[in-house]
Amino acid sequence: MRRALSLLIGLLAASSCPSSAVRADDTLSFPVLVPLTGFLSLEGTSQRNGAVLALRQTPAGVAIASEVVDTGTSPEAAVTALERAAGRGTVGAVAASMLGTQMLAMLPLAQELKLPLVTVSGTASITEQGNPWVFRFFPGDAVTKAAHARYVVEELGRRQPAIIYQTTAYGQSGKAHLDAAFKALGVTPVFEEGVDPAAKDLLPVLTKALAAKPDVLVLHLHSSPTALLLRQAASSGVTLPIVAGSAMHQPSTAALLEPAELKGVCAETAASPISGDTPEVRAFTDAYRAAFGKEPDAFALGQYDGITMVLEAVKAGARSPDAIRKALSSETFKGLAMTYKSDGKGNMAHSAVIVCYDGASRVPTLVKRYDDPTLAAK
Amino acid sequence: MGVGALALLAYALAFASPYGLRVLTVAGVYALATFGFQIVFGLGGALSLAQGAFFGVGAYVTGILGSRYGLGFEATFPLSMLVPLLLALPVGLAVLRLDSHYFALATLGIAQVLHLLAVNLPELTGGSNGLAGVPAAVLFGWAVPRGLPMAGLVWGLVALGGLIGWRLARGRLGRSLTMLRDDPLAAATLGLDVGRLRLAAFGISALFAGAAGALAVHTQRVVSPEVLEFPVMISILTVAIVGGRGRMAGAVVGAVLLLHLPEWFRFLERGYLVVYGAALLATVVLAPEGLTGLLDRIAARLAGRRPRAMADAKEPPLPPIRSEGLTVEGLRKSFGGVRAVDGVSLDLRPGTVTGLIGPNGSGKSTVVNLLSGLERSDAGRVLLGGREVTGARADRLARAGLARSFQAAALPQGAGVLEAVAAARLAFDPDTATAEAHARWALDRLGVGHLAGQSCDGLPAALRRRVELARALLRRPAVLLLDEPAAGLTDGEKAELAALLRELAGEGMAILLVEHDMGFLLPLAGRVLCLDRGRVIYDGPADGVRHDVAVSAAYLGSSRSNPAVSA
Repeated sequence: MRRALSLLIGLLAASSCPSSAVRADDTLSFPVLVPLTGFLSLEGTSQRNGAVLALRQTPAGVAIASEVVDTGTSPEAAVTALERAAGRGTVGAVAASMLGTQMLAMLPLAQELKLPLVTVSGTASITEQGNPWVFRFFPGDAVTKAAHARYVVEELGRRQPAIIYQTTAYGQSGKAHLDAAFKALGVTPVFEEGVDPAAKDLLPVLTKALAAKPDVLVLHLHSSPTALLLRQAASSGVTLPIVAGSAMHQPSTAALLEPAELKGVCAETAASPISGDTPEVRAFTDAYRAAFGKEPDAFALGQYDGITMVLEAVKAGARSPDAIRKALSSETFKGLAMTYKSDGKGNMAHSAVIVCYDGASRVPTLVKRYDDPTLAAK
Repeated sequence: MGVGALALLAYALAFASPYGLRVLTVAGVYALATFGFQIVFGLGGALSLAQGAFFGVGAYVTGILGSRYGLGFEATFPLSMLVPLLLALPVGLAVLRLDSHYFALATLGIAQVLHLLAVNLPELTGGSNGLAGVPAAVLFGWAVPRGLPMAGLVWGLVALGGLIGWRLARGRLGRSLTMLRDDPLAAATLGLDVGRLRLAAFGISALFAGAAGALAVHTQRVVSPEVLEFPVMISILTVAIVGGRGRMAGAVVGAVLLLHLPEWFRFLERGYLVVYGAALLATVVLAPEGLTGLLDRIAARLAGRRPRAMADAKEPPLPPIRSEGLTVEGLRKSFGGVRAVDGVSLDLRPGTVTGLIGPNGSGKSTVVNLLSGLERSDAGRVLLGGREVTGARADRLARAGLARSFQAAALPQGAGVLEAVAAARLAFDPDTATAEAHARWALDRLGVGHLAGQSCDGLPAALRRRVELARALLRRPAVLLLDEPAAGLTDGEKAELAALLRELAGEGMAILLVEHDMGFLLPLAGRVLCLDRGRVIYDGPADGVRHDVAVSAAYLGSSRSNPAVSA
């Protein structure tokens, strides 16, 4: 019995205190806690890769450690992963999941443990909890949808948009911000309808939208529905301009379509690394391809910028989570995608871009940059 | 089990990091949810895929009341159990009559509907993002901090829930549910109210799930639609299967193992899922009865099986009023275009043995099924003890004094003889110990008392029949319907059976004996009915059947004397 008891305790203790937890005192740890499995695995992998690439730039004189942990898609797994990470040496900051519900679950614990969370989650409410330990390196809907609407109205000169959005939290939030942005521009959409992400045929909603006589189609859909609607629009001979949501900019979405089906399609996004508009972004894209054999997207670049800003703070002498939090809260950082600066709530990204496809390739061209488009609209 | 509990306690108090305590806390939450699932699925055999949904409802009740209305644990915890229960009762009434896979799909549908509601009622539930800022559990003004205190609270409730579940499983409810799971038809003929038992199990499962959901929210401090998604249900199902179906200890072992297993392989990034899946597969293949079953097997091999302490035999009480027997008038039953029973009338008087014969397919077993409530008649009237019982359910007929046996002795696989026989008293006796004492009396009376400690599996046909007969007799029925009880018996065994039946009839029992063996039946029965194509073609003294032309024609298709009947 004594032997069985020792064995059981030993097994449990092995999971609680793994050997990798033992590190030198001066090592700063930057765990990457992101969804690598489940419905957000593509985006989560981009986030992981962006963070891992950034963590290769070890500041001189500082020992850096990192561990990647899959959070799946449940809040419970994310909280457990954060508690696990917190028990392994001195944590400087955490690259935290882009899934809003996981972030909301991690926030109270991060505050209790006093650990900065660096994320690219778009969920508005994560920076509305009054929690000083969260930093979002991806523009929220207020920014991207303002850019989306302004491009439609100011650049394309269209005033009769038909909006097709997703019936999910992502879709509903985007639609609400589009409505507000169009209203601010004095435009009333001629058609608005939500579609289920599981819908396998979007021709009915497209037909209804066209019947409302719009002069532009405005999409705010997830990746696969975006590709499906664009394919059905192309095969139906739709010639109206289409301005899609950020899912369109992902290389994995474009890969679902033929270049010809993308002709005339534009999309809003935080960044489009594969468009390579600066030498620095091109260098990042090349390094990313070399390291992971994939095309980077805005999530990868946002997370890369976020962790790079953290490491810049470390280089500047920040050696504790609180010092890093203070640096993130107060400093301005010129990243590859944009310049980041906290608005006091942890929203670091205030720029969005519009990219367009020429019908000859799946690589879009950056056609317009909006820095703080909401302020500009006001 | 004691070793395991000690190990967990020592680990939590002396070795666990905050992270280890969190994993242990979450394991406790899943153990609690699985206790309920063990009752409805493990014991009752109903694959309820609503357990995850009840878990989610409990979580949302605590989340909404805690974060929006500031209610404390004393209020939110009981309400988190009550609301899933109130949901389970009407839902159970609607879906519990469905058969296995339809029931599973229907319960899955409940989870889907609740998930849609959670996403589409943002004012109440916070929509897709859920509700953040759920407070910690506050017990009488003390906010339970995370770490050891929260783990202590959760595991204290796990201990309490496990004890309740264990007592339920070992008591009348658990034994009745096991009987129901193994053979629902036989359970009903033993007087067990199948519908009420299933509903009770479904309700209890919802209580446990709601409690677990409430604790999950206090652990996570946020509630979102993920708590209503299928992975929660899959986790509970996996915990139950891996730990050991129907066992509360299995829920604890399964939850502790399955929650720690992925953590042991986290260093593999997403590769941990492959190892986790392989480990699960290996467990299911190597220990199909679950880890607790495997541990039992190992312990039995090392230390040998301890003989079970058994209560002394005790004669069950006779029903206060002896019945007037069974009267049947104009019974009819058709299956599609085939009329299986056509206008059968018979009268089973107390103290008599009536034979029911006829060629294969003549409707004998259908008559017994109709009389015992397993089939509903299309027309006709049945009186039991002078009271109209036409169309009554099997369990009501059983409780009114009717017992039956089956052609193939219906004894549950893997059950002990004493347990199988005692099942017949679960609807009548106050506890399982009393039922087992009565069962020993019945086994002794049938001359198989020495089998009480054995398993039903592997019993020879003759002994199986005796055990089944003991089960039928145990309720001291007024009317006993026996479907071919002499099949497979030797001449000596048949003689013993005949003597027993005479003795029972002598005590005032009315017996209907369906039998092909005329050498056994005719000396025993005072009266014989012969069926052919569902109709009574002979109703008279046993002696007369040998020479009846219609009976001979039914057996042989001609007017010659029937050798089978003459034998």
